[in-house]
Amino acid sequence: MSNPILQAQNLHKRYEKVHAVQGISFDIQQGEIFSLLGPNGAGKTTTISMLSCLLSATEGDAVIDGHSVGTQADAVKRVIGVVPQEIALYPDLTARENLMFWGKMYSLSGAHLKQRVAETLEIAGLSDRANEKVETYSGGMKRRINIAVGLLHEPKVLFMDEPTVGIDPQSRRRILDTVLELNQRGLTVLYTTHYMEEAAELSRRIGIVDHGKLIALGTQDELTKLVGERDTVRIGISSVNDTDALLAALTKLSGVDHAALEEDELVLQATNANAHLSQIIGAIGAAGGQVKSIKVAEPNLEAVFLHLTGRALRD
Amino acid sequence: MKALQIAVKDTLTRFRDWKALAGMFAAPLIISAMIGLAFGDLGGDETPIENIPVVLVNLDAGELGQAYEDVLTSPDLADLIALETMQDPQAAKARIEAGELRAVIVIPAGFSETVIPDSQGNSGQANVELYTDPTAEISPVIVRSIVERITAAINSTLLAGQVAGQQAAGYAPLLGPAMGQLGAAIGAELQSGNLNLQESLLDLEVVSTGETGESFDPFAFFIPGMAVFFLMFSMFEGSRSILQEERHWTLQRLMSTPTPTWEIILGKMGGTFLTGLLQFTILMLSSTYLFGVSWGTSILGLAILVVLTVFAASGLGAMLTAFSRNENQAGVVGSAVSLVFGALGGSFFPTDGLTGIINIASKLTVNRWAMDGFLALTVNRGGLADIQTSILVLAVIGSVTFVLATLAFQKRFVK
Ligand SMILES: Nc1ncnc2c1ncn2[C@@H]1O[C@H](COP(=O)(O)OP(=O)(O)O)[C@@H](O)[C@H]1O
Ligand SMILES: [Mg+2]
Repeated sequence: MSNPILQAQNLHKRYEKVHAVQGISFDIQQGEIFSLLGPNGAGKTTTISMLSCLLSATEGDAVIDGHSVGTQADAVKRVIGVVPQEIALYPDLTARENLMFWGKMYSLSGAHLKQRVAETLEIAGLSDRANEKVETYSGGMKRRINIAVGLLHEPKVLFMDEPTVGIDPQSRRRILDTVLELNQRGLTVLYTTHYMEEAAELSRRIGIVDHGKLIALGTQDELTKLVGERDTVRIGISSVNDTDALLAALTKLSGVDHAALEEDELVLQATNANAHLSQIIGAIGAAGGQVKSIKVAEPNLEAVFLHLTGRALRD
Repeated sequence: MKALQIAVKDTLTRFRDWKALAGMFAAPLIISAMIGLAFGDLGGDETPIENIPVVLVNLDAGELGQAYEDVLTSPDLADLIALETMQDPQAAKARIEAGELRAVIVIPAGFSETVIPDSQGNSGQANVELYTDPTAEISPVIVRSIVERITAAINSTLLAGQVAGQQAAGYAPLLGPAMGQLGAAIGAELQSGNLNLQESLLDLEVVSTGETGESFDPFAFFIPGMAVFFLMFSMFEGSRSILQEERHWTLQRLMSTPTPTWEIILGKMGGTFLTGLLQFTILMLSSTYLFGVSWGTSILGLAILVVLTVFAASGLGAMLTAFSRNENQAGVVGSAVSLVFGALGGSFFPTDGLTGIINIASKLTVNRWAMDGFLALTVNRGGLADIQTSILVLAVIGSVTFVLATLAFQKRFVK
């Protein structure tokens, strides 16, 4: 299982006045989508810049596919693809010209280059508009070409720095689907975002960054457990004879901490609610009640961030 | 070679930008056309120079003084020279200062007697004096070359006579026919544009045309002036694009590819250079076509001068950019330098009148050395030898600024 393709080890970046990254360490396993979640200014871009050899780390190092970022930049650059937060394209050139140019910068040439340009245009879904200038594209289309450039040289690891910022929901959906599809084909992805839902959808393992520090790292389950918060189960019921008896019975169930009735809705606080749902429904039936709806709200990453920092993820 | 690919990309981008094209081509050509109109000389039609007011003060009683007079008054030169004779050299010279005359030719008393060998074959030294109007550019050159031609013809006649052992009295029959043909010969040379004015140019302080002795073409001055001026602008703007790429993150993206930083920087500077080379070449071709400007006779000299002018201008642009705090500052400094260099360096008016500190300041500009070179080729029809200093200075400016810019960019972008 443990087969890290990327290991960041105690990365620091100090600017004159700002300690932008303060000792970040994490591993990324081959084949996973690892997300760094954090608000603006957390240090995500700075971290990615160090991993892509754009910035030298003030302290620490990273090893990518066996090569040190600090001392083997050239080898690292060949295995990574970078999708910057900015739309790093030439607006005066067409999408195809952009891809051709960037392909050459990755030392591709000839028929292979043409083939890769066609393939990445296909991934971006823009083959039919490839000969239009990028400046005429919508924000979402530009973002897709921005991603396509990072894929040209078939990297082993793709760094994606907030690739869905400032675009409409359909375009975002499309990009998330693309990321999932690329991952299914074997691409390892380092994804940064300040959208909790994106990290939650894409990644099993997530690092939460704030003020230059990795304040939490783990699977979503592990992270949410940090909150110590219970699942909130809301059950719409009808025709219960003795509600007090039902509530008493429910609180006796293992895992249920608290039960209350809000109008015709039972609200339970439960640890690992899903595992106890059948018992809960059984108790309701025994009390003569009928279940009309069930909603289990799991604690989310937003709650985790709130719990850890006392602030909301998005301000 | 990725640097070349970056340079080509930049050049392509620039030539697709209408605003950039307007600045690179439309502006210099339109301004040149307007200047041309102001000189009433659009289309390269050359106003012939005629009736140059010249006074001959012939104090010599002998046949040589007469020979000068004969040639100068010959019908073949009648259109070109409006000759008057006077007896008082001082009064004649005063008329130059008054602006009435372009030249005064003085044949001193006893000239023939001194110069023609006596029976023992001894002869002395005497000079024809020529005074010219320092404010005029072309006509003094023409008068001077005519006088020199007459002097040369007389000298060779005397020499021939001496070799043949002629006595003093025998020169007159020789001189007559020789001088009679000379007027026609000079006239014909003027017509065909073959009159060789090169030697006389060396002694004259004024810039003047050696073209045909017929006209001054304002385009021969203003087109190179405008071309150099607008070249500076586009070189500064081109150099700035590296900071723009940093703002748009394409520079960072370039640096995240396996491309050495020096190659990226070289590519960016090379792109500006390539753009400038194309800009200047297109300006030369279109001005030749539109305004009939002649860029001189030395293709090699012109090619070297253009390459080095663009080299120096793009190097300077790169250096200013490299040391600017940001894109904005680079823009402001670039525009200011373009304007000041244009004014000081002779893009708008000739620099030969400059003296002292202004002249020194002028010589600190790329424009000055470029203009000195171009004028030597276009106006003075010189060759490679005449632009050696310009070539050398421009090469040094280009090399130094390129090296400094490269180092500064390296320091700036490798973080
Ligand atoms: N070149 C720089 N000089 C000084 N401070 C910087 C520089 N780049 C980023 N920072 C600071 O470092 C911190 C992290 O920035 P960044 O990595 O861009 O955050 P994120 O990508 O998570 O929004 C911010 O406080 C930012 O202002
Ligand atoms: Mg960022």
